[in-house]
Amino acid sequence: MDIRKFALVAGVAAILVGACSSSATTAPTTAPTTAESMAPTGDCVVGVSWNNFQQPRWAAADKPNIQQTVEAGGGTYIDADANLSNEQQLTDVDTLINKGANVLILLAQDNKAILPAVKKANDAGIPVIAYDRLIEDPSALYVTFDNVAVGKAEAQAVLDKVPTGNYVLIKGDPGDPNASTFLPQGWDEAGLADKVSSGDIKILGPADGTYTDAWATETAQKNMEAIIDQANASGDKIDAILAENDSTALGVVAALTAKSYGFPPLSGQDGDPANLNNVALGKQYVDVWKNANELGKAAGQAALDLCAGTAMGDLTLPDGLINASVAPSAGLKATDFTTPNGTVVKSFILQPTPITAENLDQVISAGWWATKDDICKGVTASDPGGAACGM
Amino acid sequence: MTNLAEAPSQPGQQRSGAGTSIRRLIAQTEIDVRLFGMLVALAVILLTFNVLSGGTFIRPTNMVTLSVQGAGIAIIATGMVLVIVSRNIDLSVGSLVGFVAMSYALLMTDLLPDVLGIGPDFPFRWAIALAIGIGIGAAFGALQGFIIAYIGVPSFIVTLGGLLSIRGLVWYLSNGAAVSGIDRNFQLLGGGAQGSLGGTLTWVAAIIGCLAIIALLVNSRRQRRRFDFPVRPMWAELLLAVAGCVAVLGLAAFANANHWPQGLANRIAIEQNWGPTPEGGWQVQTGLPFPILLVIGVGLVMTWLATRRRFGRYVYAYGGNPDAAELAGINTRMTILKTYVVMGILCAIAAAIAAARLNGATLDIGVSYELYVIAAAVIGGTSFTGGIGTISGAIVGAFVMASLAYGLSYMGVISPGQNVAAGIVLITAVGFDTYNRRRGS
Repeated sequence: MDIRKFALVAGVAAILVGACSSSATTAPTTAPTTAESMAPTGDCVVGVSWNNFQQPRWAAADKPNIQQTVEAGGGTYIDADANLSNEQQLTDVDTLINKGANVLILLAQDNKAILPAVKKANDAGIPVIAYDRLIEDPSALYVTFDNVAVGKAEAQAVLDKVPTGNYVLIKGDPGDPNASTFLPQGWDEAGLADKVSSGDIKILGPADGTYTDAWATETAQKNMEAIIDQANASGDKIDAILAENDSTALGVVAALTAKSYGFPPLSGQDGDPANLNNVALGKQYVDVWKNANELGKAAGQAALDLCAGTAMGDLTLPDGLINASVAPSAGLKATDFTTPNGTVVKSFILQPTPITAENLDQVISAGWWATKDDICKGVTASDPGGAACGM
Repeated sequence: MTNLAEAPSQPGQQRSGAGTSIRRLIAQTEIDVRLFGMLVALAVILLTFNVLSGGTFIRPTNMVTLSVQGAGIAIIATGMVLVIVSRNIDLSVGSLVGFVAMSYALLMTDLLPDVLGIGPDFPFRWAIALAIGIGIGAAFGALQGFIIAYIGVPSFIVTLGGLLSIRGLVWYLSNGAAVSGIDRNFQLLGGGAQGSLGGTLTWVAAIIGCLAIIALLVNSRRQRRRFDFPVRPMWAELLLAVAGCVAVLGLAAFANANHWPQGLANRIAIEQNWGPTPEGGWQVQTGLPFPILLVIGVGLVMTWLATRRRFGRYVYAYGGNPDAAELAGINTRMTILKTYVVMGILCAIAAAIAAARLNGATLDIGVSYELYVIAAAVIGGTSFTGGIGTISGAIVGAFVMASLAYGLSYMGVISPGQNVAAGIVLITAVGFDTYNRRRGS
């Protein structure tokens, strides 16, 4: 490589690096807090390691609520985004500890790969909160929504609407335990398995459901189109569809639209704007909503209490901090939770809220990141969500 | 050996009196043997699924669904042929599809109405959005093409960078949220019952297509006579005309065997006052879906571009021998840049189909398209050594991939299994091709 070529390459690289770093620091709205909090001022520094900001809910709902709760309690909030990388997350945790974090809140990319970081925190005497996703370590407080209950709520709503008939099961990524274990467990707790064995419900397509790589909407759409064609070929009518989450439900709605099939009752979860809009339009029957605003508040408060020296077993969420409708069924005091591997951890397990057109206004008034404009786009008075949208 | 399958064969080659072996007969019709072989392979795949599914697979609805599912890949693959033929690669197509698809969704939900004051009722709003999207695609293509051709950074690196950074930009467009709410007219680009030509127009299109095939054959024969080139024997001309027409009309008949779902037909009948419902319900023929028409249109334009225009000739000349092309006075840099602009435009068209089908855009739209597009081009006979590849082959390659994916999904095979099958078919197809080529030379 001659010197001119080298200079050119170096120049381009410098420009690219410059562009990347400048966009990284300017774009996320609250990023400056991270940079400026190098020297912690408060008594309690809460360090949060996000596994990603690719899914909008983390930056839009969880982060601001943790931050507000921490700052309202006199603490300091710092964070880092690992961009879906396990290695990056370990580095991030090191950085947060070095910046003086007294408590760590971890949204783990992988519940095993994160363990070295947890050990490091334990060694430094820093309590750890496993946020939304389980970490298999008895020292970590588990703050999450009840994922089995999410599946149960999905199936319950649809089964109430369609007690017998032909069902299609659309599952998420085959490698995600939520997709393969917890959510289907909830479906069965709501009575799906019993109704299948009694013959009240017939599963169209693969009996075990159809998995969707990476929960991708386009993949769910293609799979659903094949299932519709298959059902038409065998003369079966699809009466209801259980989709595990909102991105797959979005693909199902696209397939139903492309095939002009009409919209049999369909489930989802997450409370994404496009899906809540579909609920209002009558294209998705139920969207099980994990109100992450409340999850963020609970985690923020727990972090402050841990900072103040409260033992994990004595943690109690103050009355009125979180909405009563999502409060853990076990009460506001931390309770024991046994993980699938048999580890016992302290936990706050919040309850999800099934959202249909009837109670859409609950989301609209909650200050959710899906705004009323998003939810009510194109909704007319004759649509199921017409009333909630004030048509 | 290059793209000259349709061009006259070497002057002086003796045609009449050639032996009677099948190989000779096929040679006399000047059918591209490789393309023919691929069509046979496609037919074998479809028939296999038909047997496995107990005879329910080869039905009009299934065929239309899988064609629409493969349309986006087929469209981009036609451009990937030119890129690979000119010894480059484009890894950024999936990200670019994602970016443009998100742009369409945002244009129609926010930007057009709020910034430009173009509301949902504005005439030809779908076309305005499409034009802007194509502009965005072309601009990204031009930028990457410029860096590759004029600065000389290897295309693998530039488009790998594009793959990463453009996908990142998609996030910033919508702050990571899925955006839905595409214009009704734009949605038609995605196909479905209403996004199709309808029965009558499909027949009209098929008849025009049939006449065009005959006109092309007559014209080509006349031209060859004029320049004293050898012509095909008359039986071969007739065979081609009949086969072409049968294929086109058969496609139309197949598409027209699809009918609107009753619910939709009843609803539209009430909305548009069709009168009382006839005995047995409305029978509205669906016809060819628009995405398929787009594939056919893009295929024709790209073939014309590749074989009849200077640009296309330059691409193949450069791919065959870059130094010779340069020395022959071809502006090779501009040619390379243009291949990427074409690629960007095709990505924008594919993005329109994807966004229309989803009635919006998600963050992960177009993910791993680049792999399927490259696979389609390569299965279709495009060679990484440069200079070799046809547009029609790439389209067939795309439909081979789509048939596999849809067929396996139809049979209830989960996606990891589909990936295993796709990978094996890719290697097998290229393996056969390499073997045949080596034997041929």
